[in-house]
Amino acid sequence: MPLAMLRQGETACIKEIVGGRNARGKLTDMGFVSGKTVKIHRSSGGPLIVGLGDNRIALGRGMAHKVIVDNKGCEN
Amino acid sequence: MALNKKERKNTELKVALAGNPNSGKTTMFNELTGSRQHVGNWPGVTVEKKTGRAFYQDYSLEVIDLPGTYSLGAYSEDEVVARDFLTAGDYDVVLNIINSANLDRNLYFTVQLLEMGVDLIAVLNMADEAEKKGIKIDKSKLSQLLGTPVVETVASRGRGIDNLLAQTVQNRDLSEASLKIDYGSEVEDLISEVVEMLKQYDFSRQINQRWAAVKLIEHDPEAVKLLEREVGASKAKKIKSLIAERELKAEDDFDNVIIDKKYEFINKVIEESVKRPAADEEPENISDKIDAVVTNKYLGIPIFMAVMWAIFKFTFTLGDPLIGYIETFFGMAGGWIGTQLLAIGVSPLISSFITDGIIGGVGSVLVFIPNIFLLFLAIGVLEDSGYMSRAAYVMDKVMSKLGLHGKSFIPMIVGFGCNVPGVMATRTLDSKRDRIISILINPLMSCSARLPVYVVFAGALFSSHASTVVFSLYLMGIVMAVIMAGIFNKILFKGERSHFVMELPPYRFPTLKGVIIHMWEKVGAFLKKAGTIIFSVVVLIWVLANLPLGVEYASAESLIGQFGQLVSPIFAPLGFGSWQAASSLVFGILAKEVVVGTLGVVYAAGEGGLRTALLANFTPLAAYSFLTMVLLYTPCIATLGAIKSETQSWKWTLITASYLFVLAWITAFVIYQGGLLLGFGV
Repeated sequence: MPLAMLRQGETACIKEIVGGRNARGKLTDMGFVSGKTVKIHRSSGGPLIVGLGDNRIALGRGMAHKVIVDNKGCEN
Repeated sequence: MALNKKERKNTELKVALAGNPNSGKTTMFNELTGSRQHVGNWPGVTVEKKTGRAFYQDYSLEVIDLPGTYSLGAYSEDEVVARDFLTAGDYDVVLNIINSANLDRNLYFTVQLLEMGVDLIAVLNMADEAEKKGIKIDKSKLSQLLGTPVVETVASRGRGIDNLLAQTVQNRDLSEASLKIDYGSEVEDLISEVVEMLKQYDFSRQINQRWAAVKLIEHDPEAVKLLEREVGASKAKKIKSLIAERELKAEDDFDNVIIDKKYEFINKVIEESVKRPAADEEPENISDKIDAVVTNKYLGIPIFMAVMWAIFKFTFTLGDPLIGYIETFFGMAGGWIGTQLLAIGVSPLISSFITDGIIGGVGSVLVFIPNIFLLFLAIGVLEDSGYMSRAAYVMDKVMSKLGLHGKSFIPMIVGFGCNVPGVMATRTLDSKRDRIISILINPLMSCSARLPVYVVFAGALFSSHASTVVFSLYLMGIVMAVIMAGIFNKILFKGERSHFVMELPPYRFPTLKGVIIHMWEKVGAFLKKAGTIIFSVVVLIWVLANLPLGVEYASAESLIGQFGQLVSPIFAPLGFGSWQAASSLVFGILAKEVVVGTLGVVYAAGEGGLRTALLANFTPLAAYSFLTMVLLYTPCIATLGAIKSETQSWKWTLITASYLFVLAWITAFVIYQGGLLLGFGV
């Protein structure tokens, strides 16, 4: 499911990044890569605030739809 | 990569700082170069490279601070600045500043640099933060795995700087070997084939060919362009079709494979060299707790408004008494010098030049140093503390209604200091549409040069409500910017949407050194401006006020009087049809402070004070209308110059200059005529 569909407080595991070259490049630069755990710190209408390790990143809804996650979390 | 190095003396080195945003790069730059920076760069979000000098033993180091970038992908203009510098290769060593507490993402950039063959020292900065989190980094292991020297520092406390300088000097000639990551047989086979073809086509030897091949396989647009330029379109096409053909057969896109392998490599490096506490889940930290309040759906915008109000109050409450002292000083100095000059028999003309021209004109601008000083202090703290990006997040709600996103708000805040860096800060926006709209509305952010005009008028005519009046002007600027952004969004560009990704760095206490350097830069720039452009314009106006020869100083018959009378009918419906007001506005386009300077000269305000003169010549309503005009009309030439160079287009420059004048005129007209109808005209 896309990251944008998670609720505040939920964590998930990144499966893949979809979308065009630019969007994908920007996301991977910021550390959105498969196998990483993301946490939704804020989801209240506007952009999401997600936690990626110690980083906090504001992510527009459109971008958050390009990050495909598994809400069962990462293995190990 | 050392191939493009220009010849330098043995004791001279050129060193570049590169790294992710929020890795403490600028702090490191300040620590290395201290006050030996080349002023002329604009503070705030670093969008242009900045040079300074550092000394170590007998060595002299030219230090270049590049804009922060997450990778060599270069998705926005500021990142292009960094990448162009790094690929051009004219430097001895790159100091890759790494946030130790955030190693995996920072190393993504490091690895890209190493693959390119850049001679770099990996600087593990913010080592104290990593320690606090219980992260232990085995430096020698890391150095061995990356194949490059590793140094630990805490730039904000000056820790490890000497060692870094020593290492920099020792490692000026690092090996030419570059890092090789194994991309798996499928991609590796293709890489060797592409490298073979590049060799055969005699592709530039100044660039690491394996790196070039990887970039081509990733479909990096810049690499493709370079290839086409170097070997010609037909040969480039052969390479491109080879890559496309292989990709078709492969399971996954090669660029995905390459990214995954890079991160795999980084994970392996980290596994072998870093120990961190077992807890995988990060507990809520202080930043998160602050964010829970500051970015709250309902509280976010009110808190932001309160912060702006606080900055504003701070600037005024603290600045006002200081302004009073300086004003008194200039008033007394003017009077005293005037009498002394007459006493020693200096001609009245020269005496008038010094008292009315220089002291009345430049002095009336210099009075505002305290305000400008404090305003930049506040903006500096806002930036360095990390709140700036939260403001951008919070404002996303408003900005998205205008078709922009929150990040576009940062250049607007920078614009409160000065529109030139405000316009330049739009480089961080990655879509052209966002950039153009943000540039067009930036001059509506009331810059510090307009502040003297507000303060002098508000002080003279709105004594008890002075700060409310000035704050209302700032708000008017924001409201107008919002309205105009909405209009431009509707009429100029349709459909184009941009990606919103922005890091929210942890909150930090700004360092005293950083804030002082920041302020010193700004006050220095202001003094320079007062000494050059404002001084010249004031002299020009004084001369015009004395010509033709024999005319009464600053009378309607003087050249400036005649000129003012020529343009004043334009402003008459707005309530300030005097030639003095008209000429001050025209000259104000050279620099907004000049509005005050001109009024100082033409009202011959040396002794009586400009405030008295204003009180006699403006009603409060006319003054408010005048201030509206000053807020909104055509930006100063420096800003127009920045718009020209950033947009590369005269069209956008002229559009900005003219739409703002029309907007200002209409708004002032509505305010003045509306006010008259409502009976405020007294």
